This record gives sequence, C-alpha cells and structure tokens, in this order.
Amino acid sequence: MTTDNNQALSTDPNGGFRSRNARRVAITGGAGFLGRNLRGVLEADPAVEAIVSLDVRKSEPVGDKTHAYNLDLTSRSAEERLVEVLMSEKVDTLVHLALLSSPSSDPTWEHELESVGTMHVVNACRRTRVRKLILKSQTFLYGAHPTNPNYLSETHGIKAPLGEAYFRDKFQSEQQILAFGPPGSARIATVLRMAPIIGPHIDDYIAHYFRRRLVPTVLGFDPLWQFVHEADAIAALALAIQRDAPGIFNISGSGVLPLSAVIKLCGRTHLPVPASVLSAMLASLWITRLSDAPPFFVDYLQYICVADGARAKDVLGYSPAFSTREALIDFASAQHLRDAKLLSETPA
Amino acid sequence: MTPKPPPKNPGEPQRPQRPQRSQHENRGLRPRPTYPPDELGIGSNVVPGENFITSLDVPPKRKAPAQQASREELESQITDLESRLDQMIRASGPSILAVPPATPDTQIARAALETPLKAVLETPPFDAMHPLANNPYFEQQWGRRGLEERSEDVDDFGYDPSFERKFGKLLDFFHRRYFRVRVRGVESLPRQGRGIVVANHSGTFPFDGLVLRTAVARTQPEKRKVRWLTEDFVHYLPFAGVFFNRMGAVRACQENAERLLKQDELVAVFPEGVKGIKKLYEKRYTLERFGRGGFVRLALRTGSPLVPCAIIGAEESNPMLHRLDYLPKLFGLPYLPITATFPWLGPFGLVPAPTRWTILFGEPFNFDGYGPEAADDLVLVGRLSDRVQRSIEELIAQGLRERKSVWLG
Repeated sequence: MTTDNNQALSTDPNGGFRSRNARRVAITGGAGFLGRNLRGVLEADPAVEAIVSLDVRKSEPVGDKTHAYNLDLTSRSAEERLVEVLMSEKVDTLVHLALLSSPSSDPTWEHELESVGTMHVVNACRRTRVRKLILKSQTFLYGAHPTNPNYLSETHGIKAPLGEAYFRDKFQSEQQILAFGPPGSARIATVLRMAPIIGPHIDDYIAHYFRRRLVPTVLGFDPLWQFVHEADAIAALALAIQRDAPGIFNISGSGVLPLSAVIKLCGRTHLPVPASVLSAMLASLWITRLSDAPPFFVDYLQYICVADGARAKDVLGYSPAFSTREALIDFASAQHLRDAKLLSETPA
Repeated sequence: MTPKPPPKNPGEPQRPQRPQRSQHENRGLRPRPTYPPDELGIGSNVVPGENFITSLDVPPKRKAPAQQASREELESQITDLESRLDQMIRASGPSILAVPPATPDTQIARAALETPLKAVLETPPFDAMHPLANNPYFEQQWGRRGLEERSEDVDDFGYDPSFERKFGKLLDFFHRRYFRVRVRGVESLPRQGRGIVVANHSGTFPFDGLVLRTAVARTQPEKRKVRWLTEDFVHYLPFAGVFFNRMGAVRACQENAERLLKQDELVAVFPEGVKGIKKLYEKRYTLERFGRGGFVRLALRTGSPLVPCAIIGAEESNPMLHRLDYLPKLFGLPYLPITATFPWLGPFGLVPAPTRWTILFGEPFNFDGYGPEAADDLVLVGRLSDRVQRSIEELIAQGLRERKSVWLG
C-alpha cells in the first residue's frame, strides 16, 4: 500500500521532483502547544518536506519548512478554504489537533469547532490528495466506571457520559475520522487516544486541578490514574506521521499512581469530600465559571479509567520515555518553580 | 590499618570519612562504593555509579585525548571510540553486563575505568544507558521496579506493598491468634508460575480473600502473594474498594485475571461471587452455582493449573441471620446483612467472631491437554467446572468431618 502510493507520488506530473518518502504535513491547530511543538519536531525530520500550519490564531514560526495559513473551522467557508490550501500545498498527511483540551462553557461553539470542524476537515481531505488523517483524542472517552478492567484496551466500549458536549463532540470527531480510512481502503485514519497529558507546560483543566493548594477528592475513593508526558504525546504524533498505522491507539505513560499519591507528589493537600457534596460543589463552581473542572470530573476522581498501551507499543512502535510518575514529577517541579515565583513564562 | 586520630575539633562538623584507599590502589582497583539504594534518585534516569563501567569488559584503549589536541583530532577520536563502543555493544548483545569483571589486572582495570567512561559519556545518553536500563539487576535495584518496592508506588493493579506492610502486624494477629488458621496441603500450590486457586466464598463480609492471602504468604515456603479477585460491588463502596485494592485484590473480570496470569501470578477466585457470601447461616457450607465457568475458561486459555481450596470457619465468624435485599440497592449495596452484631454495633459489628479457620488445598487440576481453543467449548467448560466444584465439596466435607469444635478446631 505504502510503496504504491509513493510511486504514484513520484510519477505525479504536477508534483515535480519529490524524494521517495517526503511527506507534506498539515496541522490544524498548529499554533497550540502540541501543534507548535510538533512543528518543531517535524522541522528537524528530513522525511518531512513541508509543514502547513492551520490555525485561527497566529502561528509563530519555528522553522523554514512551515507555511502558516489562517483558518477558522467554525466558519461556513472553512471547507473551501481548506481544500484550497491543501491543494496548493499538495498535502498528503493531516494532523487534526484543533480540539479543545478543556471543556468550554459554550457548548454550541464547542460543537461547531469540534464535531462540525472535523466534518469540514474530513470532507476537505476527501476532496484532495490527503491519504492519512491523524486525530488526537482522549482515553477519558472510555469513561470512569467501577466495572472497568484495570487496563482498558482499544476494543472497549465508550462509557463516558456522551450527554456532555465535551465527550460527544470528541466521540463524533473520532467516528468521522475513522470513517475516512475504513479497513481495506488506501487511506489511513489514525486516532491517538491520549491519557491526560501532563508536563511543565500543560495548562488544561486537569493541570489546574492539581495546581490548587487544596485539592478536593472524593471521600473513601482513591482511583488509579495514569498520565502521559507532553514530550511523549508529541513523540506519539510524530510517530503516527512516520508510520502507517490505521486504527485507534491508546497513548499512555507506563505505570499507574493512586490519586492520593499524585496529589502528594504535586506537594498539595487533599481535602476528602463526600461524592454528593463534591458534585454539587463542582456544579455550582462550573455554572458560575469559578472553576474550569466540569461536574463530570467527579467520576474520574472516584473510579478507574486507565488505558492499556500495548497496541501502540506493538503496532505503532511507541514506547514512552516517561513513566506516569516521572511525567508527574516533571510537572510538579515546574509547579514548584511557579509557586516560588521563579518561573515567569506563561504556560503554553 | 592504623586507627585514625580523633578529630581535632569535636565541635566542627565531621566530614564523611573517605574509604581506605591504600590497599586497593596497590592492586590498581578503586574501591567500589556501595550506595544505599534509598539515596539514589528517581527511576532509571539515574546515572549509575562508575563502578558499573568496570563490568564492561574492555581491552585497553588509547589514553583519553589530551586537552591541547586540536578540534579535528578530538572529533576523529570521539567518532572512533563511538564506533568501537557501538560494535562492542552490538557484538555482545544484551548480555554485556552479565560478563564478570576482569581479573584485577592493573592495566585493564585502569583503562576500563578511564577510556570507556569518557566514550560512554560522549555517545548519546540513550545508547549508553540502554544495556543498563534493560539489565534485570539494575531495574530491580535502582530502576522503576526497585522504586515500586520501596515507595508508595502501586503495581499495575493498585497493590501497594508498603500499605500492606503497615497492616502486617494486624494480619499476623488475625492469622496466628484470632482465627488460628490451619493450612493443609499448601504444597499443591504451584511453587512458581501462574496458577488459579478456586475457593468457596463465605462469611457475609468478604474477608476470606485477605485471610487466604495471608495464610499462603505465611505458610508457603516461597511466600507467594495471592492476588484475589473481588466482586464489583466492593469497588462501588467507599473505603472498602480502595482498602482491598491496595492490599492486593483486583476486580473480578476476565481481562484483569488474564493479565495477572500472564504475569505468572497466583490468582484466587471465588466463582460463587456475591451469591456465596450472601447465603444465610442455615445454608452454610453448601456451594452456590459456579458462575458460568469463567475460571475454567481462564485456566484453559492461559494454561494455568487449578487448585481447589476449601475455607472452613468463615461461615460461623459472621453468621447471617437475615438479609435485606431491596432497600440497600438504593445505596448501591447488593444486600444488607443482619447478623448478631451488625448493624446493631455499627462498624464494630463488622468484626468477625474468633472461630478457628481451616484452609484445605486439594490436588491441582491440569487442563493443559485440552488446549486454549477448548475455552470456547461451553459444554466442556461446564463439565470441568462441575468437576472442580465437586472436588471443593469433598474438601469441605473432609474439613467439617475433621473439625471437632467451631471455636477450637
């Protein structure tokens, strides 16, 4: 499959000269943390010929290969604009990172961006020469449930509350991406379900939760958690670009930690609260926008949701450089610097 | 060895004494520092002490390049060294560290200490660390696995060795003094490798798994740690789920059990499930239906021997006189037991009566002959499940015959 495609590329009359394996990669959400750093990694990769950064924000340049374009996935002309860019840049691989890493308080906009935005992306890819689509998703989609096995494999059903826009849109995005490259077709669709990403630069609602001085937990529960380091997450994306591995992959750091140990490692104090009180507390804070942790987060503080990274290791060849513990220590050490006001940089 | 003179100023903080070097230097060997494992840092990212390098059995190389050498010379030397080291690593494969250190030859030892250390430091760190990080000793002692043993790290399934150690005295007390557990036939447990212990479930509150684990750890010569599988409802409960999980229990499901067995653990299952512990006192020591034979399928698929086990004494420790079935479902409990002490005494009602327990292990079953594909043959699975159940019934009958008194055994 791969060789056929490469031959087709090298004999393409309009394509001009192209090295055998050179890829032209487009990244939606290329101005975000993952997008920017992925661009940095790809700049150094000789197998990548050009990088197209697509974002509504300004993509700060990290190298010569990057071509930045403005794209608003929530606009109605997004698909036309995407087709135009993908055609003119002759993109063959697209990494879709324009998904929220923290739930938004505006579910309508969230839906337009994630679910409808993914539709625009997939349709534009169908109309152009893109043969590989990669999506960053989350292991939180499996849902926290007491009947989960300790390690959830990719074949496991989705138990996350799909009534929540945050999960429903992620799930719909996954379904659309997977439909782009059904098994047996020449196109490849890769979904990387990432464990909560943590690291010195992470600034999502989970990082905010562990940054609090007093971390509320559920009384009598201490679920196992797993993390993936930000560098490992970027490495996994780069690996998915390099290798053709269709399907869903869990990306996680090795090992697990109980939530209490996570909070201890962060140097925080935990405050056990009965589950019903904590849900009410989070719901009221969420409605008044005083906290960015949504009410469904209580489930994850109560029950296990840990994914099995065996498939990513066997098929994708991914092995994490950081264990869960090491990733967390990296996050905590940066946090200690922030606490001591010795780290002035704004987190990406 | 001359005794050291006492420090001149006792008030001054005494500097750590350096090891006596003279004897070692005569033989051309540096003393090997022994680091207490606790003083090392985190994970396998720790750079090992230089004594590790001595075991790279390397013939003498040229001296380390002098400071004044030109840049080109230095670079060529480095690439030369790198390629040599690379060849060596490739040639000796992963067993590079299994080679014992060379005979105390001055030249070799010195060269091995100086030149390759430099080369190792100049190659990309991952390449140099690779054989070290994969060395089983290193991993066990200093690496992630070693850390798990010593810190509050949990294993893949949430078992926390340090948490269990905290309760060691209490478990000992229950094992020796309180239940005075008698264990028979512990030699039929596999001494190593995977195995499934199939036991009857009883006692209103699921303490029997923990007692079984303690009994095996205290009486088996290998001190194997049984991982027992608990019902779902335990994991819905606050405190209980976490407590059992940190003590080594795992939620009962095929995925978890299969994973444990593939790691060559000894797994205890209670196929009766909730039906076993919620039976009333009048039905004591009768076995409920053994699920759908999931444990047989597990044994067939993983090729593990099955050891039948009877636990006698648990039925009388918390005799259930009555059971509320519907009301407690509102609170996520499968049932609410009424015993002589519970719920009348609150949490103290959970304390079991000091009956004498006997744990009997029977002859192990080995279903290897059927092959893993037999797990899909439901008729066969049902038949084998019945066989195991009958052997447990026989063990229970034998235990009850031999028992003279509930309290004294």
